[in-house]
Amino acid sequence: MCFKNLPIAFDEQGNAYLKEDIANPYEYKVVDLGVEQDKLKSLMEKNGFIRSVDYDPVTRVAGALAFHSVVDLKDKKVLSTNSMATLFRGYEIILKGRDPRDAAYISSRACGVCGGVHATTSALAIEMALGIKPPPLGIVMRNILLAIEYLYDHPLHLFLLSGPDYSEELVAATNPELIDIAGRTKAKNKDVHGYNTILDIMKDLNPLKGKLYLEALSMTRVAREAYVQIGGKYPHPQSVVPGGISVTVTMSTLNEVYSRLIKFFDYGQKTTGIWDDIFDFFLEQNPEYSQCGVRPATMADTGVWDRPDSYDGTFENCDKWGNDRWSTPGILVDGEVVTTNLKELNAGLEEFVEHSYYEKWDGQTYKTDANGMPLSPNHPWNKDTIPKPGKQSWRDRYSWDTCPTWDRMPMEAGAYSRMYLTAKAQRAPASEFMENTGHSMLLNVPKYNLPAKQLEWKIPEHWNAFERNRARAYCIPYSALVALENWKLAQQLIRNGETAVATPYDIPKTGTQIGFGAWGAGRGFLTHHLIVENGLIKNYQIITPSTLNAAPRAPWGAPGPYEEAVLNTPILEKYDKPEDYKGIDILRAIRSFDPCMPCTTHIMAKDSDHVVTREVTTCACGIE
Amino acid sequence: MIGTVGYHILGNHSMPPMLYSHLQELDLPSYVKVDELNWGPVAVTQMFQAEDPPFQRVVILCAIEREGREIGELDIFQWMGGLPDEEQIQACVGDAATGVISVENLLVIGEYFKIWKDEVYLVDVEPGPEIAGEQLTVGMEEKIPDIISVLRNIATGNVAEYGELKTLQGDLIFEEENIV
Repeated sequence: MCFKNLPIAFDEQGNAYLKEDIANPYEYKVVDLGVEQDKLKSLMEKNGFIRSVDYDPVTRVAGALAFHSVVDLKDKKVLSTNSMATLFRGYEIILKGRDPRDAAYISSRACGVCGGVHATTSALAIEMALGIKPPPLGIVMRNILLAIEYLYDHPLHLFLLSGPDYSEELVAATNPELIDIAGRTKAKNKDVHGYNTILDIMKDLNPLKGKLYLEALSMTRVAREAYVQIGGKYPHPQSVVPGGISVTVTMSTLNEVYSRLIKFFDYGQKTTGIWDDIFDFFLEQNPEYSQCGVRPATMADTGVWDRPDSYDGTFENCDKWGNDRWSTPGILVDGEVVTTNLKELNAGLEEFVEHSYYEKWDGQTYKTDANGMPLSPNHPWNKDTIPKPGKQSWRDRYSWDTCPTWDRMPMEAGAYSRMYLTAKAQRAPASEFMENTGHSMLLNVPKYNLPAKQLEWKIPEHWNAFERNRARAYCIPYSALVALENWKLAQQLIRNGETAVATPYDIPKTGTQIGFGAWGAGRGFLTHHLIVENGLIKNYQIITPSTLNAAPRAPWGAPGPYEEAVLNTPILEKYDKPEDYKGIDILRAIRSFDPCMPCTTHIMAKDSDHVVTREVTTCACGIE
Repeated sequence: MIGTVGYHILGNHSMPPMLYSHLQELDLPSYVKVDELNWGPVAVTQMFQAEDPPFQRVVILCAIEREGREIGELDIFQWMGGLPDEEQIQACVGDAATGVISVENLLVIGEYFKIWKDEVYLVDVEPGPEIAGEQLTVGMEEKIPDIISVLRNIATGNVAEYGELKTLQGDLIFEEENIV
């Protein structure tokens, strides 16, 4: 019984049904956010040390996330938070009425980093809708391609986007008391990274000049070089198609990939050693850092990397092939696995727009899925995207992001959710390189220049900003090892003469077909929900990781993950006057989620179904 | 090197990437390379760093909306070097690594990592208001021969015939009036 809040129950045979005798089974309470705002206004009028702090942009990305908070600088607490996506992403509208075969290429453009995962998720949605099963080599090569995409993404996050928050320059400016101690503290993992002290590491995390920063830039090149062997180009691959991939794969292709992949064995050891040292240092110096960005480990993940002997693309078998993935799909609630079944993951999804710039849609096309599992009127298959720009107000609507929930709970997403669920659930089939213990993931990294080593990522006690980033570091060897295991499978398939990489298919010209693609982006959970009618896309809905993480309040008032994480963040920064306050703790909390707002926000179709402008309000300052 | 920079499917704003394949087919001297420079300033920087010998002259074709110009009107800027503050450079790298296509990011990141060895020119053509689409307006189409002629001339060293050029500097490029 995985649902506690939705009106879905299961009979003795495990068949889901809608609970009876409930007048409006999917009804929900809508609270007035104005009450909280009135209290805050009153507090700010009475107390000079309580003030609004706005961060815009937040992300070190494209500036499409603004964050508003009310902070008590005397008691060093965050009193209120609002996460605001400042741009409209119109892919749902752009894709309507198009040939489904266009979806992979168009949806790939939703992000300038994770184009390959959007293309793949789109291909999976079409495979489910049309019943297409790719050949084994097509599945395996897709796994390698997307593992490599993560090997671009993880160093980018760790060293270029989030890493500077832990650099000597930033720490000296916000917590100078730590610099001397860092200079005296020996690094525990010198054997893999070569640094004597924590301060030595911090210096090389300095943006633009630090050796770790520059090394990460060069490693992104290595990953891209491997990626284009399969994808043709980066970031928007030309070769991901429904039914597999569209490039010929030879031993030579695999050799080119391998010569790049092996560099991530050492880099994985080095990166995990560096971030273990840095985060252990912060947490040892001040245990209050464990509350930075803390929230319950309540997370969703789609799973990723399909087994070629299991994946058949069908909805009917998606629980089976989902559980056979190298990373296990599912839902965690407060650190406990609630489900690992894709059908339940799908059925529990809803999207709410009460605090977003969209109109609520009418009607409900699908009351159940193909298996009879009840679906909400707010489920993506039932959703219609109706943009409605309006006044920004913390009392009412303030974001272009929607509020997705699972079983009426806001869910966090991240590459780390992938590790957490897989380690905890222990459902993934046996692997040559990985072992899930229920409390950790063991990673057997082969030798390259460094000797072989077993790394262990442990499920942490507190789910906070530091642990998100630490887990992200372990995602480097995790992704590299999955790529290696698939590389070995690809070699075997080619040796066996199983060289087909795609399955041909036709788009039916009549009838309705539905499907959903579930695959992980570099920063976690990604779904594409698709309805094809008479050969064209009737509805297309994308939920990205940042849609989940940057969500505004739920109608019933529950904060989105960024909002909740920042609310729980203590202010540990040192400052003499309020004017000197920089907000590093809040920024660390938000950046630990790897906000990538180009994912959730893009171009607006104004008065038409087509792309017109990037007409936006980008500043959170001064909003009511 | 002649490089094109711009987003796709934005009408006249996409003139540079639309012209790319045509530029590749031109009868240019063998020492002139044509390439799309859309794929991220960090990646472009890494490609330039690997070039041996380095490019002596880089001509970047872009289409940026500016006040007071007719569609198709062309300005040539010479890049004079200089850098904004490090916070701004880091912001450029963040944008670049996450897929934002931007000429100023390319110029600044290239300058920071010292890939611009000698001369860098920007051939900037007025696109008019941004609209969606895969076609150029008639006004822009009519200017294509002139644009190609300018690119060819500058790439092959005939810069002098354009007289005194406008300039761009990295330390001023993010001031509002200079944003390209």
